Amino acid sequence: MENTFEKLKILADGAKYDVSCSSSGVERNNSGKIGNSAAAGICHSWSADGRCISLLKILFTNKCVYDCEYCVNRRTADVPRASFEPRELARLTIEFYRRNYIEGLFLSSAVEVSPDYTAERIMNCIKLLRDEYGFGGYIHAKIIPGVSSELIHQIGLLADRLSINIELPTKESLSLLAPQKKPKQIFTPMKQITQTLTERRQLKGPGTMFKNHDIYRAGNLSSGGDLSYLEPEGENITSGDGSLTDLAGKPLAVRESRNRGKEKFAPAGQTTQMIIGASPESDRQIVKTSEDLYRTFKMKRVYFSAYIPISNSPLLPTPFTAPPLAREHRLYQADWLLRFYGFSADEILDEKTPFLDLELDPKISWALRNIDKFPMEINKASLDELLRIPGIGATSAYRILRQRKLAKIHFDDLKKIGVVVKRARFFITCCGKYYGGADIAPEYIKNEVLASDRIRNRLLPIDDNIQLSMFNPIANQQNAFADYPVPIADFNQNGKEERSISHG
Amino acid sequence: MVDYLYDGTFEGFLSCVYAHYYEDNASGIYRKDDYQASLLSGCRSIETEEKKASRVYEAIAEKISTEDLRRIYRVFLSSDEEKENKLLAYIRLGFKAGAGISLRHSNPIVFDIQRCEYRVNIETHRIKGLARFEALKNSGAGESGQEILYCRIEPDHDILEIIADHFADRLKNDPFIIHDKARSKAVFAQGGSWYISNFTDKDLPLLGEREREYRDLWKKYFETIAIQERINPSCQKRFMPARYWKNLTEFR
Repeated sequence: MENTFEKLKILADGAKYDVSCSSSGVERNNSGKIGNSAAAGICHSWSADGRCISLLKILFTNKCVYDCEYCVNRRTADVPRASFEPRELARLTIEFYRRNYIEGLFLSSAVEVSPDYTAERIMNCIKLLRDEYGFGGYIHAKIIPGVSSELIHQIGLLADRLSINIELPTKESLSLLAPQKKPKQIFTPMKQITQTLTERRQLKGPGTMFKNHDIYRAGNLSSGGDLSYLEPEGENITSGDGSLTDLAGKPLAVRESRNRGKEKFAPAGQTTQMIIGASPESDRQIVKTSEDLYRTFKMKRVYFSAYIPISNSPLLPTPFTAPPLAREHRLYQADWLLRFYGFSADEILDEKTPFLDLELDPKISWALRNIDKFPMEINKASLDELLRIPGIGATSAYRILRQRKLAKIHFDDLKKIGVVVKRARFFITCCGKYYGGADIAPEYIKNEVLASDRIRNRLLPIDDNIQLSMFNPIANQQNAFADYPVPIADFNQNGKEERSISHG
Repeated sequence: MVDYLYDGTFEGFLSCVYAHYYEDNASGIYRKDDYQASLLSGCRSIETEEKKASRVYEAIAEKISTEDLRRIYRVFLSSDEEKENKLLAYIRLGFKAGAGISLRHSNPIVFDIQRCEYRVNIETHRIKGLARFEALKNSGAGESGQEILYCRIEPDHDILEIIADHFADRLKNDPFIIHDKARSKAVFAQGGSWYISNFTDKDLPLLGEREREYRDLWKKYFETIAIQERINPSCQKRFMPARYWKNLTEFR
């Protein structure tokens, strides 16, 4: 036990930079001995950095043969090393799960000996959990670049979600910072997973991005981002064609037919993650790469991880550089626009503006650049148009549509519907009337929005389960703005109550 | 117009709704225990009658919708002080408006109910994550020595029965108790089925053999997984309000 304690400390410490902790995407009742899964995912705790703890996020081993510059576990780093035994980790997972500490396991690993060697040990541990312990909870398995397709398939049949880290947004950065990881090794498993999901008609895709399209046909609509480097060099990947064998040497097809309908391949899809701020890419490149990943591989999520300086490498930001948390936060907001709001990467950032505004969220920035599309009439706008209005999210957009069937929506109703009125008011009319003040000019709106943000800047929007808002450049000035007058003068001209707006 | 008083059960509340329609209009519905007599209106105690309650129950399902019936029940479980009166208004409006009532997001009556339901739902979801079990020795004679999982919660709303199914399915091979300390009752579950009964934690069995070790492991994990460069306590508290902390293993 003493031993497990030390291992847990070392291997959790090595896993903490992995972003995803989501346990969503699968609804499953307990058909084994212990554990089920809820589609929405369940967070069990929040650590001191405000990130949720849903899964036991841990490395199988941190003994690594690779030497990626940005990584705490790189071969040349001076850190204590440890490895779990499959049974030890399975037992720990079950005991944590019984006590409702966690929703499942997120198992990643450093590359010990070779990718296949490591992947097999990961697989054994998961297999033990599923078969011997009858574990029905959530399992997220990390796929290490370079693993053979048979192993990926096997792991996919056991796990709920698979992920392969793309690590960096461009080929150049990857070859500079992670010379042992080849683009092809990253791309090949991604493609295999998408293909298997396609064959099994299990593909779900990111958010509502493919809502009005046939996801199986909406092919590689590459937007010219930087994913071209991931194209394989004339190689076709075969998977699930019956020629694969499981570890016992039996053809997979036989196993599948026995458990048909029960055995699913990665039902929660695949995700990936890239590091932000370790390399010089612009936000535009990052957002376009994400978009390509969504369109090409129909990933569920692309995660961003603000680089935290951990090494003295001359190739990386110096150890005293603050992690770009505000930037990471804005990138996630842009990611939301891609997945749920029908925006394209080119709309979010064009060539003239390669970086996201750290002061303003990307939706408002877009609206200010496209002010000619506003104001929109709340009682007439379509769903797609409503989703483009700052201050209106998917929930409130649907509520507006529902209520419109029954009655006209008045300005005072908006707050009850859940619209962030202090934002939306600049961009809408309600029953023909504009409530945004004297003039619909981008500069004026920007000032108004920033002023009200400063008053309550500690309450940044909450995205999913991920906390991104710690480092806010404005936060330090908070006291200076504590007495800042609420800009309400203009509403009063319209004879509207202050109440509904200043608290919006 | 008269204030109706009921015994605190859902059936009792529905009996009051029955009385509102078939006897005198209600000026308000209150729990007997909490009622403070007012000078303005008289009050009447309503006997809980199953027949009357089930008539109202079925009428809600039929004339409004089963989803609204579920909503009404969830709001009834909330700790909102005015919930009975909000619900009465909602039911009255529902009998007029039918299933469309839930679309009227900006109607103040509907808004109140939906906000109440939202709070109950949020807490239900939170507790599914924040409930912490500890393994206790099974003191029962002749048992094979299987541990009992015990969990203490103090939720704002009376959500015990909403979360019971979730855990009963999840932990079907572990007998467990979820104890709502504030309301002195608990879910007892074994093999996937459960019941609710009164409970005090006076005579809890001793901790299981390795319970402390797993606690320490979890605390260590909790501490290790935070990234020092990103520490953000206000964010942590926003997601996980401090009132829940006292029952969390990681803070004990």
